[in-house]
Amino acid sequence: MTEDELAALVGHRFPGGTRTIEHWENWLLTDCTGREQLPDGLVHPIALFHVPIQGAGTSIAELFELGQVEGAGSVGLDGYDWEYFQPLREELEYRFDGGVVETERCRTDAGAEYDRFVFSIELSDPGGEPVARITNHWRLRR
Amino acid sequence: MSAVQPGDTIPPWTMADVDPQRMKTMAAVLRDPYPVHWDRSAVASLGLGERVINQGPLNLSYLANMLMAWQGPTSVRRLTVSFGPPVLDHDHVVATGSVVSVDEVDGARLATCELALERDGRAVVSGTAVVELS
Repeated sequence: MTEDELAALVGHRFPGGTRTIEHWENWLLTDCTGREQLPDGLVHPIALFHVPIQGAGTSIAELFELGQVEGAGSVGLDGYDWEYFQPLREELEYRFDGGVVETERCRTDAGAEYDRFVFSIELSDPGGEPVARITNHWRLRR
Repeated sequence: MSAVQPGDTIPPWTMADVDPQRMKTMAAVLRDPYPVHWDRSAVASLGLGERVINQGPLNLSYLANMLMAWQGPTSVRRLTVSFGPPVLDHDHVVATGSVVSVDEVDGARLATCELALERDGRAVVSGTAVVELS
């Protein structure tokens, strides 16, 4: 990927869409974290990784394709910034909109080239009220 | 419960044994094709031995579990973290945190906290959280 191609990713919008977090999915996710299930249909905060990606109409695999990376070791995590404006709940249909907000070609101190790839997705409830916003920072190794 | 104050330590939360089976379940739910979470040979090809790498969101979840155990299941308002060295299967990690400040915002008491997920006393995830106090 050239530097111009990388820069052109900024502004790329995901298709957007709606998605419901089902009970079985939340149960398995919560179980994976090693804690007991949450009460009253509350969704574990960890759902803010894959649910926004899928709800916005994309996937982890498509994001890898967009960044033109593949194979073990090609993607690293720099950081996440997840904001919760309301508790997430099972069986509610949320709206998802987002896209790529930042890219940058960088080099490590050792001279290895990598790209910063940052995407953000907003969640809103059926009434249009904001529910959450995620901004994920990935490192695409070249 | 006494009032939360800056300088308070959050009770730690321990994941005594990071389970590779949970990583497989997680990969399936996430539809995550990245093999380092479920294929030991993929990790070996990176020179990291033959232990699979825990998903970043799972590392973050241990910090969230600590916060929810402390202030309840709807208390987490914001998580901002950066990731360090990978967490591997069968690692023992401990979520830790402390209160930096407490502010009143729109009638809610919000604590800003420093967080770390530690392995052998060294941070593998670090960051901050905003937590609504109960």
